[in-house]
Amino acid sequence: MKVFIVTMFLSLLVFAQSSVVNTYLKTLNSEVLKKDSTFKGFDSKRGEIIFTSKHIGKKGKDISCVSCHGNDLSNKGENFFTGKVIDPLSPSTNVERLSNLKNIKKWLRRNFKDVYKREGTAKEKGDVLVYIMSK
Amino acid sequence: MKKLFLLPVTLVFILGGTYILADDDHDDERRYKKNEYSLSNIKQIQMSPEVKLYISECSACHMAYQKEFLPKRSWNKMMDTLENHFGVDATVEPEDKKTLTEYLTSASSKYIDRHITKTAASSRGDETPLRISNTPYFKKEHRKIPRNLIKQKEVKSIANCNLCHTNAQKGDYRESSIFIPNYGRWDD
Repeated sequence: MKVFIVTMFLSLLVFAQSSVVNTYLKTLNSEVLKKDSTFKGFDSKRGEIIFTSKHIGKKGKDISCVSCHGNDLSNKGENFFTGKVIDPLSPSTNVERLSNLKNIKKWLRRNFKDVYKREGTAKEKGDVLVYIMSK
Repeated sequence: MKKLFLLPVTLVFILGGTYILADDDHDDERRYKKNEYSLSNIKQIQMSPEVKLYISECSACHMAYQKEFLPKRSWNKMMDTLENHFGVDATVEPEDKKTLTEYLTSASSKYIDRHITKTAASSRGDETPLRISNTPYFKKEHRKIPRNLIKQKEVKSIANCNLCHTNAQKGDYRESSIFIPNYGRWDD
């Protein structure tokens, strides 16, 4: 019985998480469609390039998302500048990831500015989210 | 009977006096106990929603520095410049900014390590320090630490208080709790 309850609880968590990020992805999708009617949907391959390519960031250093989150998103990362440990970004390892809309928006805003020195477009944000979800 | 009553009263005076006179870095057991009491107080405060917010918003990237480390004017300036927070975007939602600013500029906790209050008090009145490590008291206290011990990978930066001050997150910066990686205890 206990196992059943725990399983139910966990699956509820996963469900809640996927619904939050999926609803946000739908919003982003319609934003992209407004500008580009031929848009075919988000792509984790494009997201991977956004996530792994290096740029001279806000602080003047050559960094990518990988600089802090690492190559394996199921592992812990480490803040490139402060050394503070960052919990795994992969939602399948860390159920808290992508489960809160406010946090999703906040970190996309902050981290795009840190690496790309500008906000991400709706298309870029969606691509990166799909990439993170695939990990 | 009267004498029995006087005993605890006298003890309180003696202990209180010792506490007031005790030097920060020559802690006797009584002061340590007093400090423990203060830590349990800080723990209680940490349960409040604004402290939870402070930890989730600020401590995702760095240690949650005790707000008493900087004067209020510093926190006001800090919160107004989050779009370029030491070269990083640390912006928060407007309602969170309000809550955090109120918390950071609120009255000091009652039991706070004197090293912390001395740090805030050491900056000149016409200066608004943003880096705790730029304040005169901080510099004085750390002037003898070799640079290689700070830059080593286990510490990385002078901003990582908790990697040498092992009880930093609890607000305890006494010399007795210092342990520098690859060096050991620090005896000034």
